[in-house]
Amino acid sequence: MTDAADRIVRSRAELLEGRPRVVEPRASDEGGCGVTGFACSIPVRGRHIYEPSVQMHNRGNGKGGGIAAAGLVADDVGVSQEVLDSHYLLQIALLDPKARGEVEEAYITPNFDAALSMRMATIDDFRDVPGLEVKPPDVQRYLLRVKPSVLSEFAERNGLADLPSREVEDEFVYRNSVRLNDSFYASLGEQRAFVLSHGRNLVVFKIVGYAEQIVQYYRLEDLRAHVWIAHQRYPTKGRVWHPGGAHPFVGLNEALVHNGDFANYHSVAEYLLQRNIRPQFLTDTEVSALLFDLWSRVYKYPLEHVIEALAPTTERDFDQLPEEKQRLYRRLQAAHIHGSPDGPWFFIIARSLPDEGRYQLLGITDTAMLRPQVFALSDGDVQIGLICSEKQAIDATLHSLAAEDPRFCPIADRYWNARGGSHTDGGAFLFNVEGNGHKTLTCTDKFGRPVTAGSASVRCDVPASHDAAASMREAVRDCLGRQDAQGLFRYAVDNLPAWEPDGLRSFCNALADEAREGQSMTPAIEALTLLRDRRYETGDKRRSSVLRVVDESLTALFETAVPFGTPNGIRYRRIDWDTRHQLAPPEPGEETLVVNVERFPPEGDECDSLLVRRAYEMGWRRFICYGYRGQRFAGCGLGPDSDGLRIDVYGSSGDYLASGIDGLSIYVHGSGQDQLGQIMNRGRLVVYGDVGQTFLYGAKGGETYVLGNAAGRPLINAVGRPRVVINGTCLDFLAESFMAGDPLDGGGFAIVNGMEFDDRGRLVSQPAPYPGSNLFSLASGGAIYIRDPHGLVDEAQLNGGELGPLAEEDWLLIRPYLEENERLFGISIDELLTVDGGAREPEEVYRKVSAVKLRVLAAKGEDSDDVGD
Amino acid sequence: MTSVIERPVTEAQAERRNGPPLETVERVVRPMPDRYRNPIGPYKVRRSADCRSCAVCVDICPYGVHVKPAGYNLPLRPRDYLCIGPKCAETDHYCVEHCPNRALSVGHNPTADAIGDPRWTSDLLLATWRQAETGSMTSVGDLEYRHGASGGGFDALRFRFPQTPATVAPEDVDTRLELNHRDDGRPRVTIDLPIYGGGMSFGSVSIHVMIARARAAIAWNTFTCTGEGGYPERLQPYDDHVITQVATGLFGVREETIQRVRIVEFKYAQGAKPGLGGHLLGDKNTPDVARMRQAVAGNALFSPFPFHSVYSVEDHKKHIDWIKAINARALTSVKVSTPTDVDMVAVGSYHAGAHIIHIDGSYGGTGAAPDIAKKNIAMPIEYAIPRVHRFLVEEGVRDEVVLIASGGLRTADDVLKAIALGADGAVVGTAEIVALGCIRCGNCESGRGCARGIATTDRKLIEQVQVDWATQRLINMYAAWRERMVDVLARMGMSSVSELRGRHDCLRRVRWGEEDVDD
Repeated sequence: MTDAADRIVRSRAELLEGRPRVVEPRASDEGGCGVTGFACSIPVRGRHIYEPSVQMHNRGNGKGGGIAAAGLVADDVGVSQEVLDSHYLLQIALLDPKARGEVEEAYITPNFDAALSMRMATIDDFRDVPGLEVKPPDVQRYLLRVKPSVLSEFAERNGLADLPSREVEDEFVYRNSVRLNDSFYASLGEQRAFVLSHGRNLVVFKIVGYAEQIVQYYRLEDLRAHVWIAHQRYPTKGRVWHPGGAHPFVGLNEALVHNGDFANYHSVAEYLLQRNIRPQFLTDTEVSALLFDLWSRVYKYPLEHVIEALAPTTERDFDQLPEEKQRLYRRLQAAHIHGSPDGPWFFIIARSLPDEGRYQLLGITDTAMLRPQVFALSDGDVQIGLICSEKQAIDATLHSLAAEDPRFCPIADRYWNARGGSHTDGGAFLFNVEGNGHKTLTCTDKFGRPVTAGSASVRCDVPASHDAAASMREAVRDCLGRQDAQGLFRYAVDNLPAWEPDGLRSFCNALADEAREGQSMTPAIEALTLLRDRRYETGDKRRSSVLRVVDESLTALFETAVPFGTPNGIRYRRIDWDTRHQLAPPEPGEETLVVNVERFPPEGDECDSLLVRRAYEMGWRRFICYGYRGQRFAGCGLGPDSDGLRIDVYGSSGDYLASGIDGLSIYVHGSGQDQLGQIMNRGRLVVYGDVGQTFLYGAKGGETYVLGNAAGRPLINAVGRPRVVINGTCLDFLAESFMAGDPLDGGGFAIVNGMEFDDRGRLVSQPAPYPGSNLFSLASGGAIYIRDPHGLVDEAQLNGGELGPLAEEDWLLIRPYLEENERLFGISIDELLTVDGGAREPEEVYRKVSAVKLRVLAAKGEDSDDVGD
Repeated sequence: MTSVIERPVTEAQAERRNGPPLETVERVVRPMPDRYRNPIGPYKVRRSADCRSCAVCVDICPYGVHVKPAGYNLPLRPRDYLCIGPKCAETDHYCVEHCPNRALSVGHNPTADAIGDPRWTSDLLLATWRQAETGSMTSVGDLEYRHGASGGGFDALRFRFPQTPATVAPEDVDTRLELNHRDDGRPRVTIDLPIYGGGMSFGSVSIHVMIARARAAIAWNTFTCTGEGGYPERLQPYDDHVITQVATGLFGVREETIQRVRIVEFKYAQGAKPGLGGHLLGDKNTPDVARMRQAVAGNALFSPFPFHSVYSVEDHKKHIDWIKAINARALTSVKVSTPTDVDMVAVGSYHAGAHIIHIDGSYGGTGAAPDIAKKNIAMPIEYAIPRVHRFLVEEGVRDEVVLIASGGLRTADDVLKAIALGADGAVVGTAEIVALGCIRCGNCESGRGCARGIATTDRKLIEQVQVDWATQRLINMYAAWRERMVDVLARMGMSSVSELRGRHDCLRRVRWGEEDVDD
């Protein structure tokens, strides 16, 4: 600790005068929540935080919502840019509107010069916001500088006179708010007012309600900012009358939202108390923000060190760090481990650094990755980085933005998960918006390594400037005539790199026209689906824009199917929210029910999965479900022996997809979210993308193919005979307690290829086929076949399993699955067996992780068991 | 003694798609003696070599202790478990006095003294066996059947009966409990006792025990629970009275097993060992168990201590929504242990859509739960129940959710005490096992399992417990329990067990060292 930091910390003792130095218990329990945030190179309007917040309703319970914005536009605030950047933007929630005079008399007027003081506008009556039950607090906004005389007296009194005056002023503002909260919130029986935020160019709003209701109530639809974060809270205590406990919480220049639950709140609070910091709102989130402020502003730790102190690198990941880093991290851990939050948590932080002209968005996951998290990045004329609990909420944000501003694409260039406490990315990513005037956005991981969106720069999701050329139309007609989806796909892929930007659009339009006329929907849908599912060279075209064109064309094709009640001449029949009550059995010639799930609720008695189930009971066997916006439970509830049923899923599908399937096939044309394929028994699950947390938990069987990566904890407690191919990798805890028999005798296994696609759509090896620890921990059956030609997986990653060579019978076992993998994804066995340009034998490429008989598992006479459950 | 009570027909029988027809079991009490020739009783009757086989004792003993079958020269070994003990000396039929040769003596049975522990006293074990044998409370004699001797928990609570005699007739007392208090379009499910059976997995107990529990549940129109070990096919005729448990290992849980039942229970934790998950040792993972769980025989099976997919309350809601999406008619129950914030957990579960909140305290657990955990983690259930009850009341949701307590509820008295503290009903596990002859030896997990053939899946050992016998024992025990509950409620002046809920004033606590006076 530097001398200056030491003096700041010590002199804060004045804040604790007359108070017992004991940690007060946490005020309320709250488990998870929904968190979202984005940072953009241009300021964007508050209405765009609305959509993802709505989309994550089911992660909150309407008893606490909050948003924060950093990097505002001076005009919107009504002051000059200079004032906005230099003044502290204090926002006070007046639970008792009459408290304002007292607050100002005690804490504002004597200490500050105000450039602005205003009551935030609201709509007239909070009851006009649907569902809002508790009146949000009046918010008084000030733009303030500390009076010079007050500041110098403060500096003298605290022995801080030699510090840069901005730092002293920061500290003054911080302490003034602590005192204000003490007087009007924390120490009173009645709670009358508290500080929402007090940093520069950063605002926070909180209500008892859902986050998006803030936008409506405080009329923030048109407020612009570079960085937005929002939080849907799920406090378990019912009657909440004020939003003091809602997120975000501030340190000074940062606002933090949190999804999770600490196991060591007391320890963290004690750690803070030892440094003269006393929590006032008594929640996990508040102490997290206080930690961040302490480490970043007072201790002046670089971000990497702050992240390390929050989420220590451990186990094998620690060993993989360079020696110098290990030395440093060891010291950080030794100093701060008691303040390190333990348990499931995920933070999103909005940070304002106006002196540096920078605004930041940061996402940090706990070491064990126990909360869901997705990151995304989009490049182009405007750049945007997003962090969310669910991928579908990211997509909702992008849709909202793209609908207003064509510079945004509704699909991000990249989506990924952080690997908590890791040596690879550190479990944290930072989006940095900076620059004077024109700002740019960059993305780095914890270690400062850049994340980029790829080199292609041309967007092909532009309107077609003219009709398709005759030759193109001819080719399309020809292929459709032969029902040749592959031919259509090849034609597009072969020509795409050379096409004009609007070439793909012309092709797709031609395809749709011809398909409609020729009533040959099936090959058209198949061809477009291939364009969505497969990876290929796109030349100078951004893949995200290709996907957008394909998605829009698919949607247009799906919508040519007629609703119930209309005579039908094709194999497809369409149903949506408005026509859901007209559901009827298939007529002769009808095969596929096309379900637009867009407006169905994500769960409950009206959800789309129940509609599919009713349709199945009426005799439908083929489903195309599109327009997903996070709807859960796709494919669930169809019961045993559902063989012959096939569901194709398009859009941002939700959690628990295919959980429990027992015979049917489900194809996800895109990435899946969390908890896919739980207790899956039979059937097939194919995901043309990544899958999220706890994939195939407790699965019993079936075949599963994943094109991309699985996040944390896949295949835990799987038994029976699940057969799984994962072409990417898994973040951690792969197949813990796997119990799937002997793979060579009907048991289960997972093949992990550890591959990815480069910018040009070529298959390449990931840096490590499996980067985490805890591979096959305490497994008693089954096997992992891992593509590891360079022998990168080592014993230290195992906990009970053993690494061995691939035997011939193993290859005979897995080969059919790799053949199917090739058919589904176009990843050929030859490519998989090619290493550094040369063809190899399977046993040189694949290794087998199998179970060993563990004494701890087979021990006799230990005094623990599970009678009584 | 025989009594038949009408059992309402359950729905669902008609709309049943898969599986064998549902069975019915009559609620008839029939004597069902112990399955061993010389059951353990409180007293020992010895017959010395001085006996001349005069059979005076056979003639005078009204309890049937002395038997000399026709054609036998000698009386049988005294059936001393029927003996009322030395206090018989006050009667005119005391065999010891009447024996012309002074060949008989009566004293305490050292075996009875050797079994039991302060929580499950020898008297409680013996009383439960007698209830299971006869189906009546009168059979328990002067055994202390109401509470144990631990000095704490329910053992320190007594009923406080009203001073003025109550006017409710026993036949007017309603012991039913409705399990769906939410107005959510899901079916009403009423059980005839405020009690259902706790989860015991295939693996922890034998298939015979599981079937008997299910049959008894049918007779009493209540439920039993699969525990975490799969849903054996042989349970399918009892679907309407079985609760499918979804526990952290997800063993044997398939869509089918979720869809076939009326209640699905999420087990987050067990009160006897919260935070420890489940652990079936390799020895008990026999080929049959492994087949049911689709795992590898001989290996220990772990259920993780959390649901890996549930690390927060909104995950929990999602989890419940999932089960509701799979089974649109099922009620959902959430079983949790009793940490200090159990009240928050309960309210969170309510908001997540659960119908039943089941709090499992720390007195339960068999020999399989580690001793270091039992009673040492989490809150005692008698503290947890009022805390949760009060919090649910304060939150204004008490009447929309059913609160079930479990964890060492051994007797009808314990159940009523739990209800008076604020629960709606109780889940019972060990008492059922005791009714089947468990002596609480605590060796449930060792070797091939239970020597008495209950907590085992060993193919030979399980034959000791036959389904019909076990079913009748359980039906009888609950008949006796109901008799006791009705008696207490009637004396309280209550015509329904629901009136007792949260009536702390009906209880008093025996303080340490205070003289224990019966009401």
